[in-house]
Amino acid sequence: MYSSIVRAQNSFGFFTTVVFVVASLIAVSDLLTPRAPAVGTLKTTNVQVVRGRPHYYSSKKEEYAVIKFSLDADLSSLFTWNTKQVFVYVTAEWPATPAVTGTPSNTTLNQAVIWDTIITAPSADHLANIGPAALKKLQKSAAGKSIDPSRGKLSIKNQRPKYQITHPSGKIAETDNVVLKLHYNVQPWVGLLTWNQDVDIGLWKQLKGGLSKKFSLPAIKKKADAKV
Amino acid sequence: MFSSLQNPRQAAAQLMNFGLILSTAFMMWKGLSVITDSPSPIVVVLSGSMEPAFQRGDLLVLWNRNLYSETNVGEIVVYNVKDKDIPIVHRVVRKFGIGPDAKLLTKGDNNLSDDTELYARGQDYLVRKDIIGSVVGFIPFVGYVTIMLSEHPWLKTAMLGIMGLVVVLQRE
Repeated sequence: MYSSIVRAQNSFGFFTTVVFVVASLIAVSDLLTPRAPAVGTLKTTNVQVVRGRPHYYSSKKEEYAVIKFSLDADLSSLFTWNTKQVFVYVTAEWPATPAVTGTPSNTTLNQAVIWDTIITAPSADHLANIGPAALKKLQKSAAGKSIDPSRGKLSIKNQRPKYQITHPSGKIAETDNVVLKLHYNVQPWVGLLTWNQDVDIGLWKQLKGGLSKKFSLPAIKKKADAKV
Repeated sequence: MFSSLQNPRQAAAQLMNFGLILSTAFMMWKGLSVITDSPSPIVVVLSGSMEPAFQRGDLLVLWNRNLYSETNVGEIVVYNVKDKDIPIVHRVVRKFGIGPDAKLLTKGDNNLSDDTELYARGQDYLVRKDIIGSVVGFIPFVGYVTIMLSEHPWLKTAMLGIMGLVVVLQRE
């Protein structure tokens, strides 16, 4: 009894140590893989502001910005053997208008995600929450490959935003100095979560590009031609 | 076999040993809590709302200090809804303003709509102090033990029983 318990304890202890060491090595290997993400183009193609309600039963009317955009990006270097998924998202950012907050502009920043996408690595395809047909297609696209860098190549034309954004004040029309910004978040199988960075860190280069030109949101569209 | 019960000195030593293990674990947990400035520096994922990034049972390491930058859009945060004590792990998707009063909106990657429905009545946005940490590290599957234990309470009894038996039977 005595020795078999001790033996079981020892082997379990050794097992956990080995697992921990291997996992740490895998996590550290991320730092040794160069990253050079780059954004070719990020530009708005159509910007509208429409009136709407936050949800069906609400009587409150708010202004919503509908920002269509085009995006060309190469994030393929983010895919390594430890990559589970890359979460790519585009935010609209704008300083607060003095009229709304009473503070001078560019002191208060507003950020809102207008579009996002989850790019799974082939090793995580089975976890993706998509329909069976789409899943089959996705798995077929990387059949036999454990890493598929081509998934990091994005080319999107005139994309509708997933989220129509507003401000807590309900007013967003005629806002100036809005920019679109591309971000990513790399989700590892084990280790540290990483985001796009503004400076080079070791072998990881900063995200090149990823910022659109400044633009202004127009006035509200007339009710007759506002279609959401 | 039950020699430890007959020898009070050895029994006391074993009790001390057991206490030492417990207090070490507790100190490490609280130490981590102080370092990360989070009341719960390690959390277990309980729902699938962040799939495919996080599955049930994955272990998340949190960090609750804003050393270089504020908690920003895109970060995955763990927050407590006002007057409820259920930590939720979701991503910040909107932020209005800067500083401790900035209004934050969260959403689960796997959910279709944002978390407005999950918040308390009259609460439209989170503020920084609702957040108990941002996810910085990820260890898969290890936390599944706790889910098993909470879903099958008899396992707890069984485990405690086995541990007690081992302590009693084992001679140092």
